[in-house]
Amino acid sequence: MEEFELEPGERVIRSIRKHWIIFALRLLPYALLGVLPLALPAVVAALSNAVPAFADIGPNPLWQFALGMWWLFLWIGAFNTFVRYYLDQWVITTTRIVDIHQYGFFNRRVSSFLLDRVQDVTTSVDGFLATMVGFGTLNAETAGRDEQFQMMGVANPEGLRDLIMREVADLRAAGHSDGV
Amino acid sequence: MPDSPLSIAISTSSNPLSGLGRFAGALDARSVAAVILALMFGFWLIYTLVATYHLVRYGHRSWLTVPAIGIHLFVSLSLALFAVSGLA
Repeated sequence: MEEFELEPGERVIRSIRKHWIIFALRLLPYALLGVLPLALPAVVAALSNAVPAFADIGPNPLWQFALGMWWLFLWIGAFNTFVRYYLDQWVITTTRIVDIHQYGFFNRRVSSFLLDRVQDVTTSVDGFLATMVGFGTLNAETAGRDEQFQMMGVANPEGLRDLIMREVADLRAAGHSDGV
Repeated sequence: MPDSPLSIAISTSSNPLSGLGRFAGALDARSVAAVILALMFGFWLIYTLVATYHLVRYGHRSWLTVPAIGIHLFVSLSLALFAVSGLA
């Protein structure tokens, strides 16, 4: 791992990204903006019937160039959406949850949340789409301090909650056996 | 002195927009397209280098890193060729 070093005896259990539908929804504006210029000739044709001035607008040789540049610009934006989706992740290890968040290029935050502090883990699945597709939010809270850890838009949050609680129980059981 | 250099300069610069109009008229659509292409290429090159660095550095050695960069290069070059072929 480049962002953090695993402690002795610590191992990675699972790496999680947001649900793929979140990524697809973020790509949707780029797809719509990409299709938009294709409707322009039809709009001009319709306007030329209604407004005589538009009838003088003929096919422009630079149209293909402009269209290609526009699509290239949109592609860069869409690929950037992928990169940010791909680099955002949570890593659950045997002792902690590591939150890796890419805010933009050259702006990256890595934070850890120790599992032995976890007191309560709650999940919420809100809305029709989240229920149908199966993604939601997971909140982990510590006992004494106002510390909270949130994973938004993850697939199968209930399964993740069970996984985290199981690891917390294993960690505490190992701690008790060490203490005895 | 109506024909002095100063009076000629004043009379020709009475309308500042006339110079701008001549400048705009001298602009060729293809040369504008070439400038746009160069600017876009510079932007694309810097973005691609930065994105590749981040994917390789922070991709956790995932199998998806190299195909993602390959697809980005392929789609970008295809779109650039599509755009440039419009100028031919």
